[in-house]
Amino acid sequence: MFRGLIYHRRSHLAVVLATAVVTAVLTGALLMGDSVRGSLQDLAVNRLGDVDLALVSPRFFREDLAGDLAGQARFSTQFHEAVPAINLDGSAAHAGSGRLAARVKILGVDHRFLDMVGAGFTIPPRESGRQPAAIINAALAAELDAQVGDDLIVSFARFDAIPRETLLGRRAPEEVTGRLRLILAEVIPDTGAGRFGLTPHQGTPLNLFMDLGELQRRLDRPSQANSLFLSGRDGQGDMADEAQAAAAVASAGTLLRAAMTLSDLDLELHRQGDVVALQSREFVLRPHVEKAVKAAAADLALPLRPVQTYLANTLRSGDRQVPYSTVTAIGGPAAAPPFLPLLLADGRPAPDLQPDQILLGAWAAADLQAEVGTRVKMDYFVVRDNEALDVESREFTVAGILAENGLAMDPGLTPDYPGIADAKHISEWDPPFPVELDRIRPRDEAYWDEYRGVPKAFFAIAAARDMWSTRYGHLTSIRLGLPDGGDGLDALEQSILHHIDLAPYGYNFRAVRAEGVAGARGATDFSQLFLGFSLFLIVSAAMLVSLLFGLGVEGRSREIGLLLALGYSLARVRRRFLAEAALLAVAGVMAGTGLGVGYAAALMAALRTIWRPAIGSSRLFLHLSWPTLVMGAAGALLVTLAAVFLTLRRVSRRPVAALLAGAVGPQATKPGGRISLAMAWGGLLLAVGLTATAVLSGQSSSPGLSFGTGAGLLMAGLAFFSRWCRRHERPGGVGNLSLAGMAARNSSWSPGRSILSMALVACATFVVITVAANRLESGGQEGQPPPGAGGFALLAESSVPLYQDLNDPGDRFELGLGGQAAAALDDAQVVSFRLRPGSDASCLNLYAPGAPRLLGVPPSLARRSDFVFQKTLSETNDPWSLLEGELEPGVIAAAGDAASVQWILHLGLGQDLVMQNEAGETLRLRIVALLRGSVFQSELLISEENFLRHFPSRSGYGYFLINAPPSVTGEVAAALESGLTRFGMDVVATRQRLAAFQAVQNTYLSTFQTLGGFGLLLGTLGLGIVLLRNVLERRGELATLQAFGFSRRRLARMILAETAFLLFLGVALGSGASLLSLAPRLLAGDLVLPWWSLGQTLGLVVAVGLLSSLAAVRSAFRAPLLGVLKAEN
Amino acid sequence: MTGGEGVVVENVCKSFSGAAGTVDVLQSVTMKLAGGEAVAIMGPSGSGKSTLLHLLGGLDRPTSGSIAIHGRRPAEMNPKELSLFRNRIIGFVFQDHHLLPQYSVLENVLLPAYALGRPPADAQGRARGLLEDVGLGHRLHHRPAELSGGERQRTAVARALMNGPRLLLCDEPTGSLDTANASAVGQLLLDMHRREGNILVVVTHNPDLAARFTRRFQLVEGRCSAA
Repeated sequence: MFRGLIYHRRSHLAVVLATAVVTAVLTGALLMGDSVRGSLQDLAVNRLGDVDLALVSPRFFREDLAGDLAGQARFSTQFHEAVPAINLDGSAAHAGSGRLAARVKILGVDHRFLDMVGAGFTIPPRESGRQPAAIINAALAAELDAQVGDDLIVSFARFDAIPRETLLGRRAPEEVTGRLRLILAEVIPDTGAGRFGLTPHQGTPLNLFMDLGELQRRLDRPSQANSLFLSGRDGQGDMADEAQAAAAVASAGTLLRAAMTLSDLDLELHRQGDVVALQSREFVLRPHVEKAVKAAAADLALPLRPVQTYLANTLRSGDRQVPYSTVTAIGGPAAAPPFLPLLLADGRPAPDLQPDQILLGAWAAADLQAEVGTRVKMDYFVVRDNEALDVESREFTVAGILAENGLAMDPGLTPDYPGIADAKHISEWDPPFPVELDRIRPRDEAYWDEYRGVPKAFFAIAAARDMWSTRYGHLTSIRLGLPDGGDGLDALEQSILHHIDLAPYGYNFRAVRAEGVAGARGATDFSQLFLGFSLFLIVSAAMLVSLLFGLGVEGRSREIGLLLALGYSLARVRRRFLAEAALLAVAGVMAGTGLGVGYAAALMAALRTIWRPAIGSSRLFLHLSWPTLVMGAAGALLVTLAAVFLTLRRVSRRPVAALLAGAVGPQATKPGGRISLAMAWGGLLLAVGLTATAVLSGQSSSPGLSFGTGAGLLMAGLAFFSRWCRRHERPGGVGNLSLAGMAARNSSWSPGRSILSMALVACATFVVITVAANRLESGGQEGQPPPGAGGFALLAESSVPLYQDLNDPGDRFELGLGGQAAAALDDAQVVSFRLRPGSDASCLNLYAPGAPRLLGVPPSLARRSDFVFQKTLSETNDPWSLLEGELEPGVIAAAGDAASVQWILHLGLGQDLVMQNEAGETLRLRIVALLRGSVFQSELLISEENFLRHFPSRSGYGYFLINAPPSVTGEVAAALESGLTRFGMDVVATRQRLAAFQAVQNTYLSTFQTLGGFGLLLGTLGLGIVLLRNVLERRGELATLQAFGFSRRRLARMILAETAFLLFLGVALGSGASLLSLAPRLLAGDLVLPWWSLGQTLGLVVAVGLLSSLAAVRSAFRAPLLGVLKAEN
Repeated sequence: MTGGEGVVVENVCKSFSGAAGTVDVLQSVTMKLAGGEAVAIMGPSGSGKSTLLHLLGGLDRPTSGSIAIHGRRPAEMNPKELSLFRNRIIGFVFQDHHLLPQYSVLENVLLPAYALGRPPADAQGRARGLLEDVGLGHRLHHRPAELSGGERQRTAVARALMNGPRLLLCDEPTGSLDTANASAVGQLLLDMHRREGNILVVVTHNPDLAARFTRRFQLVEGRCSAA
């Protein structure tokens, strides 16, 4: 066998090389998956340093909470350290040039954090008389074009405990944002701490570090922080492991709860004798707080009284009125010790009130000249969701006049409202809502002087809830009665802390390391992706193996025949050849594995460079793993041996006599095998079936069905060609013996070779056309919004939410968007969305997304946009209406871009994405509508109503779509960016955003095309080899023809015509299959074929094929043909 | 005779150069064949018989000397003229029949008619007639693989006669046939020669076949003499 191997070394070398190509491609594709996963994991883990768990909240808590957490005995069993920091989203601008960078992470840190992340730098202390120092990463420095020593201006949202969309939470724009001027002390590289970030993404974050103390002072949050970072204890399990990390999160949560005080939750207890009142610095008790207090009261068997105090603009009876009064609603009976009783003037307890009844204090009753049964009208403010202030009114019937004692005179019912409580006179009030000071009478001032915030009227709690309830809750305090002696305050606090849900505060740890590692598995399996991309290449190489081995075996047909004639069994002959092939395959696989590593390294280099738009990172490197190498090698060995076995089976089945005669070309085959017939009709049926499915199910635009249809047609075409080849014998007539006719006849003479050659060309053509057709272009006319933008030319996001309506000139003025520059905004229409940050669900993110970004869709979007829906769960003329309401308890409707939903979130219509709402409850987002090629690829869309219900703290608007005439689009963008710098407003053209998404898909298609091109190269090589072999085998035939007067030129033309016949047939079959499968999408205008570039590519295919044919002809004619005609005498 | 009918071979030498040096295959060969004449060339293996036949058929050029066929010198023709000359004037029958396996018997015979493009209108009729003449009228649409050795060689004879050549060159036409078939093919060649009136040159080892020719040449070590 070894002598055989050496004797046939030339043909064997070709088989080894082809096997090496199969191995390299297969192994390389698998290594790509490992490498992308490994690189993403490295990126995710390296930038965290030792941070395993992180808690980042919009709220602030005591910096000492970190110490209290770590001070617990149980802490050190699992964790090493806990460090506090401030983590803010904001923007940064270069003070000199004005260059702006949005989405900047502002990190207030000290040495504890820097040690934990292994930063390798320190933040220099502030020099006297100078600005605090900032250290930024290279990405931010590049964005700002900033140098060390430059001044930077940093803007961020200023957190206020009082919800913005409540009466006391309204703020002027300048109060909402904070601004800092910093001096750039150092630019650190985009590695390690320079890439610090908690959301896995391969892109480089824009990080700015400054001293924690300085930031606390500037925020007026002394000794407070909003983030905690924990590092795991060495040897206490792997925090990258999801199960262990989940256990660590639970453990850290328990420790956190134990270390917390009510102050960390913006809650405080005010004791007054045996009664204690729980109030919040938010001036409203959120539902989860109310729930926890009630549970604590039940545990401790404490009586409680809910209280709601509000401001009435006017109490009116007839023509008499009292301006600006506090009014209170109380729950529970009027007289229930230890609470102060609410008594009528005659000393009796006040009656239980109906929702339309009111109790007036003696002062107010006198001022209004009201008595029992008098109708009193009350005006009061209500705050809408967009912070708009309205006045509403309601009428009540006086049910009693209160005595001037007990609860009726308790000033503690009214919280110490900012701007009001500390005012000496009403005229000095400075509340966040408009006050008509000219309505204040001397007697009102006198009341304020004497009674301060004592309520002037009381209602039923139900009426108050009806009038003033917001999504943040409605109670201003809850009073609880302590046991005799007033003990139990600590127990109450501990019980409340025990029962309270920390999720609404954002006080929950995330296993950021485990999330990074899990996310690194990727939204897309790159092994599968590149296997898919390389499939054509692998098939081509396998065909080449089959072809080369087949040629080698056919060349040794006499040897096979002789062995059989000598009495060797067929099985033994096959084994002998198979063993020989196995040795060749092993050699090829060994060589190919090394080549595969190189191939993967080259692909990774391409991903970092020419294909970077698909990846967005230059930090992807080759990762080798033995299991993958072994898997690739085994797979390639299997593919090669299968190809070899099939070839051997075909050749060795020929009659011994034919083999002895060296008859390898012509085969006395049956006119058309059953298999080819079945494949032909099966392929056609598949194509027709898939087309019918696509049409009937309304999925005519499905690329998958389209591809399947094309593959079916391709299979049918090849099978029909095979049958034609096998029927080339035409009894009873003379065939066409013209040049073209002879070429066709000659091509059919070796059906196996011809079919393989044609299949390679047809498949290559199919891939080239299909891929080219699926390339995405923005489309539409330049200057007009592109399809997918819903008619909007611009898209904007702000780092700090806006509460104003950008369509309202008054609101724009309030935001400082005035003057000539902002005049263009008069012609623009803006649709504002609420935004909950989350993982980028688009193809721009390589990591598997966690909870995706959510947009709250305002009702006005349906009126103002023309987004195209690919499919909806139910038929409707207004797909946006599908988002409204709640589908089932805990299930709400969501819409998303079809590509993101399918490929990144791996969901479909009717399927649910499970996440948690702000209260920590399970929320299922059911996909009810899919948008086609839209700008909404990074997020899911839910109705604004559902957004507010499930994420009540996410106030304001952070995402905007802007429609403006083409002539002013640039001015609108400039006006918004420059006018709203402090909000970190970042405006991009929708065309640009869509182009970024399309660049990813187009890059993947380019990858596919490139690898397909390699396949084409192999196909052409195969064609050339077949041709050369055919020509060499037919030297006798060619010499005979020459002897009878066929000129060399005519013979060369005949051979070229044979190649051209196969080439054109292959191109025609591939093109036909591709175009027919794409026809529904082409006719619907979904796709536009780049005819010119496509023609060039296919022209190149034909030219390369003909050139290889020419090379074969030259080779055949190099030696004189006629020598073969001499008799052996 | 140089300017008229017949074949004139004068002082033809043919040498081949190889790694082992130059081999003189033909040395000053001279012969003259008149129109309608049939001759046999005999000689041991390696004596240059096939080489001489190839030179006569314009498949190769002499190293020196000249060959004139019906007054024309193939060695002086350009490739196009030579192809036309071979197609119109020469007919070949090889030891290995060199039939094209992908074509039927009829198509193989028709091939010379297609060599220069469009075939004459009566090409099929002539091919069928020739095949009838060689006894293969019932095998028109069979492929070469389905024929016996004798039938294949008879097909080759029919193909060689397709364009009515004035010089029919046969290189060991019976070399791979059994005695009966060899005799039959030999007789066929002579019969067809008589009918077509061409010059027939047969290179053969077969003394029985050579004995049927009135004129015979002997080639020994490249030198030709009348036998």
